[in-house]
Amino acid sequence: MSAFSAIGEEEEIESEDFTPGTEPQPTWCPGCGDFGVLKALKQAMPEVGRSPEETLLVTGIGCSGKLSSYFESYGYHSIHGRSLPVARAAKLANPELEVIAAGGDGDGYGIGGNHFIHTARENHDMTYIVFNNEIFGLTKGQTSPTSPKGHKSKTQPHGSAKSPLRPLSLSLAAGSSYVARTAAVNPNQAKEIITEAIEHDGFAHVDFLTQCPTWNKDAKHYVPYTDVQDSDEYDFDVTDRREAGQMMYEVESKLYEGEVLTGRFYRDDPRPSYSEEKQAIGEMPDQPVAEQYFDEDHQWDRSYDELLDLHK
Amino acid sequence: MPDDLNWAIGGEAGDGIDSTGKIFAQALSRAGRHVFTSKDFASRIRGGYTAYKVRTGAEPVESVVDRLDILIALTERTIEENMDELHEGSFIIYDDERSTMRDVEIPDEMIGLPVPLKRLAEEAGGAIMRNVVALGAACEVAGFPIENLDEALEKRFGSKGQAIVENNETAARLGREYVEEEFDYDYPYELICTDEDYVLLNGDQAIGMGAIAAGCRFYAGYPITPATEVMEYLTGRIEQFGGTVVQAEDELAAINLALGGARAGARSMTATSGPGIDLMTETFGLVATSETPLVIVDVMRSGPSTGMPTKQEQGDLNMLLHGGHGEVPRFVLAPTTVAECFHKTIEAFNLAEKYQIPVYLTSDLSLAVTEQTYPPEEFDMDEVEVERGKVVDEESIADWQNENEQFQPHFPTADGVSPRAFPGTSGGAHMTTGLEHDALGRRTEDPEVRVEQVDKRDRKVDTARERENFDYREFGNPEADTLVISWGSNEGAMTEALTLLEDDGYDVRFISVPYIFPRPDLSEEIDASETTIVVECNANGPFADLIEHDTLTRVERINKYTGVRFKADELAAEVKDVLAETGEVAQ
Repeated sequence: MSAFSAIGEEEEIESEDFTPGTEPQPTWCPGCGDFGVLKALKQAMPEVGRSPEETLLVTGIGCSGKLSSYFESYGYHSIHGRSLPVARAAKLANPELEVIAAGGDGDGYGIGGNHFIHTARENHDMTYIVFNNEIFGLTKGQTSPTSPKGHKSKTQPHGSAKSPLRPLSLSLAAGSSYVARTAAVNPNQAKEIITEAIEHDGFAHVDFLTQCPTWNKDAKHYVPYTDVQDSDEYDFDVTDRREAGQMMYEVESKLYEGEVLTGRFYRDDPRPSYSEEKQAIGEMPDQPVAEQYFDEDHQWDRSYDELLDLHK
Repeated sequence: MPDDLNWAIGGEAGDGIDSTGKIFAQALSRAGRHVFTSKDFASRIRGGYTAYKVRTGAEPVESVVDRLDILIALTERTIEENMDELHEGSFIIYDDERSTMRDVEIPDEMIGLPVPLKRLAEEAGGAIMRNVVALGAACEVAGFPIENLDEALEKRFGSKGQAIVENNETAARLGREYVEEEFDYDYPYELICTDEDYVLLNGDQAIGMGAIAAGCRFYAGYPITPATEVMEYLTGRIEQFGGTVVQAEDELAAINLALGGARAGARSMTATSGPGIDLMTETFGLVATSETPLVIVDVMRSGPSTGMPTKQEQGDLNMLLHGGHGEVPRFVLAPTTVAECFHKTIEAFNLAEKYQIPVYLTSDLSLAVTEQTYPPEEFDMDEVEVERGKVVDEESIADWQNENEQFQPHFPTADGVSPRAFPGTSGGAHMTTGLEHDALGRRTEDPEVRVEQVDKRDRKVDTARERENFDYREFGNPEADTLVISWGSNEGAMTEALTLLEDDGYDVRFISVPYIFPRPDLSEEIDASETTIVVECNANGPFADLIEHDTLTRVERINKYTGVRFKADELAAEVKDVLAETGEVAQ
């Protein structure tokens, strides 16, 4: 019998299935944008039709990392910056899992930046949600990679001398095949974008604006927001790398001028995922690696002699 | 006529030294002879002295060359570098028509064989074959029938077409004939061929082969000397068995990828060297506290920092035993021979999964670059048992759920080992975290739960001590007053040193330890000896410290940290020195 009995099982899936049985008291502050991510994710899951037991959520460290505590699924709360390699390897070992990684802007764009670049470059078939609150919240309000220039904090009392990182442009350059930005203040769009991201075959990166009312800004700083797809002011082709890049640059700049632009900025649907690329050159088996251990017909001893013959 | 032969080819990196040496080693192995190879090399692609050395006998050979009978010297420096090993009557093959070799002076007591390697190679079809000409010349000196080279040449050049293979065969024969016709020495060697069918492999390859045999189907790594060959070995092979290799962006990713593969249900491994372990130590704690089975290979090289990347050292012991903040158990295994690299890799996977614990498997540069012959039966893969431990499925999961039907991945069992459910298992949804957690895997700072979980993780070590046999390998006279202990790759040189010591009337017991943690208790053995000497390839003797700590007995130490492994004669001499100093001359 397969150990992966939950995979592909026909069942009614509801948003509430993703609420843990004994629900822990969330330690997020009242008004925190992180609630918006949790809600959007819970609402997206029935849309994509995956159950808690088919889903692996890998989180990093920070307020965002607590997501796996409040979301019922297989969850792996890893360490600071390392959620992506854990998540993408799990997907490679068992492609039938729905794999989602989540973390903060410090986690993903700072300490885990190299993994972000390379996971995007390899285009793993998974979703990555970055809680972008422009600050280190859990450690009490220090300047983060997306904090605006001049941002004052206990670690930068004279104001940050650095320009903020441009997460969307970086994502595009690195190779993500789906790049979007949404905001906790816009729950309908958030749900739609998370759904699209999960359904996307390839690396889907969602930069999720989550207000931090305790250390940074409260929700009203993200209002009004504009959905670029709904606005007549913006007309660009999300499948055109050059147009997408220009749009992203503008979106990133405007955030720091107080204008919140959200939406889908890039998608490259035809691009094969890393597994597909590897399978095409014979570097990855068709049968999921993890399943072989439970397949009674799997030939473990096949051609061991050939292995030895290579040394003769 | 002596049947043992020590042979080397040396020159500059980029001269094809390695592949030429390998052809000779393979030819010997195919001819049913035992082979033990070693390399002198530097960390660069071109330039600098490099050599490939082969020791061959009809009986198994366990240690490196300590004298050179035949040397193919492509550069003058090759002769200088090997003066200590060259002896009266050594044959030195060199190309006296090469501008840099024209004025080479062969020391009086040695025999120079000037062979126009390049000219003969050109005659055979191209100057590139000059090393093969030299091989042919060496065959004549060694009394090794030249036909034995053909199969190895076919293996090396077959993919380039039959014409290339034939040219190489001609080149070898031209070299042999030249020596036969031009010189009139009495060559004292005759390499006897047998019908034995050996396999030839190095420690990295043995680890790779062990991993495949153990059912490892997910490997993630980042290139680093001297561990890269584990990855190169698995790439292209593991796929044939349904697995995959992933090259990571750095070692941080490598171990996290291996971790992700293991969480998803695959037997998973990464291999690196000390600098990589430095980075992986961050994730090690997460692996250990989330109770994820993982095999992490450290092929040690000389440190600290970048150190001497292509030199031997056993300097990582304390890092493997204690690396990482906080306290959490791990197992540390140290194979002592090339074959043990295979067997201990398989054992490492079973230990990792049975106890849901990270296992460090540590070999070193010496094992990694040494190619050694074994009968194929040594690697009997049908004997391998894959023990995955307490993996639950849809049916057995109910036994491990609490009253709310929640799965308990860190349930504090009597043996410390909890059930394991892979993502995708019905009824098994749970979270796990690097935070301290309760039986359900949820974060907690509750003092009682904290103590319960720490104790539970530590209990796995006690359970393993009860159930497993963490024993040592023993050589020499078990009743001897002198006890030598070593760990890892020193075993071969020390077993040969035993013979030398015996010849000189020294009675020695030798214990070779492949388990660093948990490890055998050597109290009785040390009590029974007059003098205990711990041999290791590092400056400060971390293993000797462990032995002293375990047994509350002071030991003598032999340490080497020149970057070169121990040789048998040198070890024998050092053991004699220690015995002379301690007044325990055993004669």
